[in-house]
Formats: sequence, C-alpha cells, structure tokens
Amino acid sequence: MMQLIGSFSMGLILSLLALGVLISFRILSFRDLTVDGSITLGGTVAATLLVAGWNPWLATAAAFAAGALAGTTTGVLATKFQINGLLAGILVMTALYSVNLRVMGKSNLPLMKEKTVVTLAQSLSSPDAKWSIGRWEIPLQDLCVVGMVSVVIAVVASTMYAFFRTNLGLAMRATGDNEQMIRALGVEVGWMTTFGLALSNGLVALAGGLLVQYQGYADVQMGIGMVVWGFASVIIGESLVGSRQIGLLLIGAVMGSVLFRLLVAIALKWGLNPNDLKMVTALFVFAALVLPNVLESFRRRIRPVH
Amino acid sequence: MLEIEQIAKTFHAGTPNEVRALQGVDLKIENGSFVIVIGTNGSGKSTLLNAVAGSFLVDTGRLRLKGQEITRWPEHRRAKYIGRVFQNPFSGTAPSMTIAENLALAAKRGRRRGLGWALSSSSRSDLNERVRAMGLGLENRLDNAIGSLSGGQRQSLTLLMAGLIMPDLLLLDEHTAALDPKSADQVIRLTDEIVRRDKLTTMMVTHSMQQAAHLGDRLIMMVRGKVMYDFQGAEKKRLTPQDLLDRFEDIRRSDKLDETVASMLERQYV
Repeated sequence: MMQLIGSFSMGLILSLLALGVLISFRILSFRDLTVDGSITLGGTVAATLLVAGWNPWLATAAAFAAGALAGTTTGVLATKFQINGLLAGILVMTALYSVNLRVMGKSNLPLMKEKTVVTLAQSLSSPDAKWSIGRWEIPLQDLCVVGMVSVVIAVVASTMYAFFRTNLGLAMRATGDNEQMIRALGVEVGWMTTFGLALSNGLVALAGGLLVQYQGYADVQMGIGMVVWGFASVIIGESLVGSRQIGLLLIGAVMGSVLFRLLVAIALKWGLNPNDLKMVTALFVFAALVLPNVLESFRRRIRPVH
Repeated sequence: MLEIEQIAKTFHAGTPNEVRALQGVDLKIENGSFVIVIGTNGSGKSTLLNAVAGSFLVDTGRLRLKGQEITRWPEHRRAKYIGRVFQNPFSGTAPSMTIAENLALAAKRGRRRGLGWALSSSSRSDLNERVRAMGLGLENRLDNAIGSLSGGQRQSLTLLMAGLIMPDLLLLDEHTAALDPKSADQVIRLTDEIVRRDKLTTMMVTHSMQQAAHLGDRLIMMVRGKVMYDFQGAEKKRLTPQDLLDRFEDIRRSDKLDETVASMLERQYV
C-alpha cells in the first residue's frame, strides 16, 4: 500500500510532464526532445535554490521559469534559425546537461533538512497520524502530499483548459493543426511555436522541481528517457478518453501518467528488472505508435474498401 | 486598390530547375473589381496570387495595397487586409478544431489575439446567423470537428471565414478545382453572392472557362509569367467560353516555338 501511494504521487507529479509534452507533441505537433534536459533543469534549479534557503514555492516557480527559458531557446533555434525541430531539441538538451552541472556545481544534490513544498504539505499532519482502510494503514502525511500535488495539477490543468479556449490559445492549437491556414489568418507561426514550447518546457521543469522535492535529491541524470515517458502518458491518456477534445486530452494526460506509473510499479513488483525499464517504456511507445496503423491495414485487407 | 508594379520571381535561380514564374507583371486593380485570372499550366497565375498574399517575397518590383507599400511585408502581416481561399479544401481550415472555433479564429484575422474568450455566447449566436445564411445546414453542427465535413462544405466555410472580417482584397486560388461539380457550383454561387454583397475587391484564379466567362468584371490571361490579355468592361461581358478556348489555342500554337525564337520573331515580324 505504501508503494502504491508512492507510485500514485510520482504519477501525479509526472503528469505535469505529460501536460507539458501534450502541448508540444499533440497541440503544436512538434517532437520536442528538450524535455530530458528541461525536467532536470527544473530539478537542479529548484534544489539549488532550496539549499540556498529560498521559499519552496518561489524555488518551484523558478524551476518553471528556467524550463520556459529552455523551451524558448529550442523555439528560437527551430523557427528563427530554421533548424529541424528534433535537432533543435537535441542541441538544447545536450547543452542543458552542462548547464545543470553548472547550476548544482556537482552531479548530485541531496535535500536534507531543507524546507520543501513536500515537507510543508507533510507538516499539515502529525508524523504518526494514520488513516486506516480495512487492514491498510496510510500515513496521513502521505495523503497530504498527494493532496498538495493534486491541487497543483488541478490549478495547472484548469488554467490550461481556460487558456486553450482564449483567442491566443485557439491560435496556438491552430498553429499545430494547420500552419498554412493560421498564417493566412495573420498569426506569426514562429512566435506562436516558441511561446508554446516555452509553456511546455516550463511545465516539464515544474514537474522536475516537484520531483526533486518529493524524492529528496536532484541528480544530473534524472531526465534520461523522460520524453518517452511523457509520450507514453499522452498516448495512454488518449486511448483512455478516446477523444481529441482539449478538456478530455488534459484529463487523459493526467490519468495516463498515473496509470503508467502504477503499471510500472506492478511490473517491477512482479519481477521486472529495473534496468530493463527504459527498454520496456520505449517498446511500449513503439507499439502504441505502430499498432493503430497495423490494425488499420489489417482491417483493410480483410474488408477491402471499395 | 491593389497596385502591382513590374513584379518578378524566379524559383531555384541558378540551378537546372530554375523557373522564371513571374517575369514582370503590371496590374492595377480598382476597389470593388472582381478579376478573373486564367492561364495555361505554369503560366504563373497561382504564383501571382501567392506573391500578392506574401507566401514568398518577390525578387523585383513593388506591391501596394490601399496606398501602403507591402512589398517586404511577411505573409501574416498582410493577412490583416487579405482574405484567402486555397485550392486544397484541407488548407483553409483546422481539421481537429470545431466549426465554431475555426470561425472564431477567422474573426480575429490580422488582429491582436489576447486572453479574451474566443467564443462568447453573443459571438456564438452571431456566428450561428452567418452560418445559417450560407444555407448548408451547418449551423446545427457548430461544435463538430471540421474534419468531419466534405470538401465542398470546407471550401464554403473557408470562404465565409475569409469574408468574416471584410477583407480589402479576397484571393481565390482555384478554390473549386478539387471539388465535385455539384459542390463546385455551390461554392461558386456562394462566391458570387459574397463578392457582390460586400463589393469585395477580388482576384480569382480558375481553370473553368465557364466560370471565367460568367463571373467577374475583368479577366486577365497569363502566359509565361506575364499578363497576355486583359479584358475589361463591355469587352469582358461579351467573352464566351469559346472565345477563351480560342485564345488558349493561339497560345498553344505559339508555344511550340522556343521562347527566345518567339521573342526574336516577334521583334522582326510583329
């Protein structure tokens, strides 16, 4: 049960990553690989500022801002300098590795006695208070953390929902849907893409900032494979809600992230070697991307279209 | 008024694929005039429209719209004054967004897009009216994704969107070429209606001699990146599809001659 709560919290925190990837991957149709670097950036910035004694919420907000800056860089490379989007993301991701080492000054930074948003949430309850359902006892502190993260996600997701119904948000969605059309309607596509990537990587870094506070340390390697994790969450979420409506996509991304984390926890419990985890994740995304097409061509072969 | 002065455009200059798409086009289009543009394949008629819209910048020459020099303006900046419908029905609308959302996007063409709601209940009922007036029954499907519509319905909507904010110039680039005859008729009827009602300054490229003869108050025929014929007023009114076909036949015959030889012969004998 403890593990379950842990996985659930992780899934919730990483759903901010999924929401960020949703913006680049689905809304802008931009395969942004900056993510691996920007989630780590969020983590290193938040951890460093916490160690320096910043207010935990301010440090978390700074993580968002740092990620937004990284996303802006990728956007400028891709739109102003016309570098292929994938390559632009890889360049920034690679550069961020050095930035992250510079920020922390070393490759690993533990948070020992620092006040973090997680300890703030935990302090809402006494350390020994338990909540028992049947034979399980859940520490109330863990529930406080889940509650805090849920509130953050509710705020982020509803802000996104509102934003994508404004004139600006609509234009951003159209940028990914039909670039030619939105340009003919007077939107500068390059700027809009850059703005979207800033928002996307801001959210990814926010996930990183919360993640280090949850696990109690920042590590320069923590971002490896995170972009694939984000893709997986978004894809699972889409199949869960079965719709491309913006509100449902947002809910789907959160659900996808939590479900994916739980599935991984179960697989690990059943004896999946943790070393194989990234391979399994990659295979999963591969299957999710390819299966629909395979099934479609299968269906055609069985019932030819006239 | 749109003033086109000696514009020229060469694609892939200096390579074996060099295409001299526009070779000095001069046109003055008065406010409220409806200009039909026809020409053989590769004559530069679509290129002319794209040059005006700003899909690329011209190599030489100048463009002025409403007295403003727009020659170096990027496409999105010109969009404030120009409404467009493309040949491909997929080009003019965002497929995964709803009809209402697409219209809301068009309602802000060339304007600042801020954090106001894109669709308020008042703007919805206004859009509903506009769609109802088209008579396609789409007013009941405002919340359906555009992707579920037929090509003809999409082109009609794109046309409505192009005119939602009154454009100073409407550019129609063979906007019925990809449609079945019935949808094409419908879109043409709608085009005529909107252009007449709002007295829109319009340039329309078409392959259909029927449309070319029956629509518009001016017709230009392009050959090899230049304006070959320019019919206006009574002369345009008298044109029949057969007249236009005859002109094409003339061009086809002269086309058999090499371009340089043709110009040499022209100098010596005409």
